[in-house]
Amino acid sequence: MRVPIEWLKEFVDFSMSPQELALKLTMAGLEVEGMESIDGDTVLEVNVTPNRPDCLSVLGIAREVSALLNLTLRFPGSGITESGESTVRVEISDEELCHRYAGREIRGVRIGESPDLMKKRLEKCGMRPINNVVDITNYVLLEMGHPLHAFDMDKLKGNRIRVAKAGTGSRMTTLDGAERSLPEESLLIWDAERPVAVAGVMGGADTEVTSGTRNVFLESAYFLPSSVRRTSKALGLKTESAYRFERGADIEFLEKALDRAASLMAELAGGQISKKEDVYPRPFREMSIKVRYERVNRVLGTSISNADMVDMVRRLGLGVSAGEGAFSVSPPSFRTDIQREIDVIEEIARFYGYDRIQVTVPKTPVGAEGKDGLYRSMPGIKESFRRAGFSEAINYSFMGRRMLDLMNIGEADFRRKTIRLRNPLNEEEGLLRTTLIPSLIQNLVYNLSMGSKDVKLFEVSRVFIERGGTLPEESHNLGAICFIEKAPSLWKEEAPDFYIVKGVFEALMDDLKISDYSFSRSSEPFLHPGKSCDVMVSGKKLGFLGDLHPGIVEGLGLKISRPEIIVAELYLDELVPLAKTSRKYTLLPRYPYIERDIALIVDNSLPAAYVMERIRSYSSELMEDVTIFDSYRGKNIPEGKKSLAFAVRYRSKQRTLTDSEIEEVHKKLVAYLAEKTAGVVRGA
Amino acid sequence: MADMEDIRKAFADELSSSETFAGLQQLKVKYLGKKGVLTSRLRLLSTIPAEERPAYGKLINDLKILIESALEEKEAGLKKTERDRNFALEALDVTLPGKYAVPGRSHPLSRVLKEITDIFVNMGFDVEVGPEVELDYYNFEALNIPRDHPARDMQDTFYITDDVIMRTQTSPVQVRTMEKRKPPLKIISPGKVYRCDADVTHSPMFHQVEGLMVDTDISFSDLKGVLEIFVHRMFSKDTPVRFRPSFFPFTEPSAEIDIGCILCGGSGCRVCKGSGWLEVLGAGMVHPRVFEMAGYDSELYTGFAFGLGVERITMLKYAIDDIRLFYENDTRFLRQF
Repeated sequence: MRVPIEWLKEFVDFSMSPQELALKLTMAGLEVEGMESIDGDTVLEVNVTPNRPDCLSVLGIAREVSALLNLTLRFPGSGITESGESTVRVEISDEELCHRYAGREIRGVRIGESPDLMKKRLEKCGMRPINNVVDITNYVLLEMGHPLHAFDMDKLKGNRIRVAKAGTGSRMTTLDGAERSLPEESLLIWDAERPVAVAGVMGGADTEVTSGTRNVFLESAYFLPSSVRRTSKALGLKTESAYRFERGADIEFLEKALDRAASLMAELAGGQISKKEDVYPRPFREMSIKVRYERVNRVLGTSISNADMVDMVRRLGLGVSAGEGAFSVSPPSFRTDIQREIDVIEEIARFYGYDRIQVTVPKTPVGAEGKDGLYRSMPGIKESFRRAGFSEAINYSFMGRRMLDLMNIGEADFRRKTIRLRNPLNEEEGLLRTTLIPSLIQNLVYNLSMGSKDVKLFEVSRVFIERGGTLPEESHNLGAICFIEKAPSLWKEEAPDFYIVKGVFEALMDDLKISDYSFSRSSEPFLHPGKSCDVMVSGKKLGFLGDLHPGIVEGLGLKISRPEIIVAELYLDELVPLAKTSRKYTLLPRYPYIERDIALIVDNSLPAAYVMERIRSYSSELMEDVTIFDSYRGKNIPEGKKSLAFAVRYRSKQRTLTDSEIEEVHKKLVAYLAEKTAGVVRGA
Repeated sequence: MADMEDIRKAFADELSSSETFAGLQQLKVKYLGKKGVLTSRLRLLSTIPAEERPAYGKLINDLKILIESALEEKEAGLKKTERDRNFALEALDVTLPGKYAVPGRSHPLSRVLKEITDIFVNMGFDVEVGPEVELDYYNFEALNIPRDHPARDMQDTFYITDDVIMRTQTSPVQVRTMEKRKPPLKIISPGKVYRCDADVTHSPMFHQVEGLMVDTDISFSDLKGVLEIFVHRMFSKDTPVRFRPSFFPFTEPSAEIDIGCILCGGSGCRVCKGSGWLEVLGAGMVHPRVFEMAGYDSELYTGFAFGLGVERITMLKYAIDDIRLFYENDTRFLRQF
């Protein structure tokens, strides 16, 4: 709401500077968001909250100023000279949606330009002057806050105004020139034959006031806020009028606005004002709200005296009668937002000043419940990836169908069970994510286009799967992507990218103290079938990792030297509950260990994990640990074979082992392995 | 006896010209070995008159000790020289960069979200979470925002169906929590929220932290106390705070909380639009209607709620002027935090 200071001063005399006034209003809940100097005047840009439609006018702001500064409020003159009855008959068919409809005829007007002051004020408030009659309705709207509408009376068929719903098939061209089909439930103003205005929203083009208009019918009415809002939304028509009606107009004051506009028309455009036509089926009923003095101070943490409370409420223009233990408040018709005790308490707090309320610390004790499991473990999970060089990404929760297609995700896949937004910003952001991979791929593409060479990103976020319930299943996933442009580097230490990402998974498992997991070949449709795996815990898949399928990489059209892009996703809601949160100390070994190596040549297709498992499960209570330290194909190894080398550690809990006894145990193990793996012991 | 002095001199000459470990070894053998000069003298001791023996024996022994220590000293010197020479040979170019795994970075929003959460958790607040795809009921109706209420204009909503939406605020978590827990209640709910709006300062998805405290005797002054502590811990203990009236359908009285502009110190700049103040929090006393809908006795209980935008705080903290940077995930941007 734009408020020119010179206009404001017409209604309330104050001497403070615009800056001081702005601060005063801001601290009373009418935030001044900006100030603009126009022709030596200052215009305040006031942010009026939706509960205060009474402040959507210069007079409304003046009323607040007069209350805050304890100054007298002057109302604009609205005295009129009436001549003759109104010939237009008004009928309200829908009292539910229209509580009052008043009007006057102004006969014999001469359409012309408005006076300079009026035009200037309209412009300062951001409105374009049109002609004197239309300008007056706008002027009174800005001044008094009540929306009015002027019809060219001679274009109204049958001298009738009827307020009724659109029903089926109603169409009308509105003042903005658009022909609209009107929603059944919308409230319209009709003449004897057809709709002539969308009630409270916009007039019709057929009855518009033009340069040829001689006689005007001026409307001042009250329409149900929710009805105006629904209609305005359905039509996509946001107008100054609808803005005020949907927040609540002043049902009593509307006749003052009608008289003010009529008298201005008579004065500035000539013409005779008819008697008032006023249909008022649902009159304003004053409420009485009981407010307990003690409650006010308890809610606010203040010690305001009874008399001060009553005084503040009175100055705000509310009816008050003081009583024992409580006072009763009757809000006037312009303050229908005040409905119960708490509303009055807010008025007192606002008027008293929030800055004067003391600062205390609540006495509520600290609760026993703490953060939930995922929040407790989240920082550690993220840390595992950060340590490995992955930076954290945050993406929108949206994706497009195109990405699922690109990733070869089949129609029956659970990641196709998507939630669709009804009003997405665009098609690429039309679905909620069921997997984090598409966003991460897009992050990679973006970063490569920005010239980055190494892109390692992870994201922890929710995914949304449609499971047939009212709300989708929301679960937490961790997604990661890794691309390293192999470039000459100072210090060499190379591992295929696949193993870099796998290592992060293993580090995470180690952090969470989960040991009974395994990796098996993955059949994810978007992964390289030979360079991918699923993470399994007791037969359940908890995620996957692998090289993005070469076909998909090709489809991305990237200019990269090598196609190894690793992606990974983990289902955290499944994983985190498996974490061992309780730790227990085990005795440190007291006797030294003895280490022996085994090198085996086995079939290339035999997984190293198979051999490891055979060693681990070999029954010897002296065996403590086994690690793999070499996996080699190439020179000196037959085609189709590979060499695997393991270090086995032996230790006894009771004594120091001797070389000779271990020699014997180890020999048996080697023989056992050679048999189990059909392998050849190297160097044997 | 003069013989000993000659031996000492001869040894001293030979020692000074001996610059290798092998040379020293030869000297050692020559003087101290089984057939060495001193050993043979000792053997001759019996041929000397008995009364002179002790004195002569002592002379030999003294010389033996002297030679031993001189040899040791010389050897140590040689060792040091050799090590020094090796140091120079082994020297690394210490200006070459070290090798380390460059750690990744937390997203700036995560950092700030954690900072905010930790402050409230340290004040005894519990963390509660709820669905991001939410019922219209929890997001609006139960928060005193009926359909067709103009307050819905404050939040442009993504719809899934008529009744299911993307939550526009994390406040529905408060309602869900009230339905399952009884007061006293002291919770925060951090998380993602959605509004269909996108430009330099608006993002269709952003992060909020909302808080709720309910007990039998919570007042507006308590709200001021808790949020002042928050601002002072989040920014600095000298940051000015001001509370001014505002409107939210689910709180009454409602407040907006401004802090003295952290960029210009209150003198007025582009970021604070010349006012010297920055709006950082919305808050208020929980509207009795919200308690009633959640099944709490609104006479018995009072409480306050607050909410803040993580993006806004992060933008202020790191002087970021375009909200879209947060979601581009440009590694050059992420590495800065």
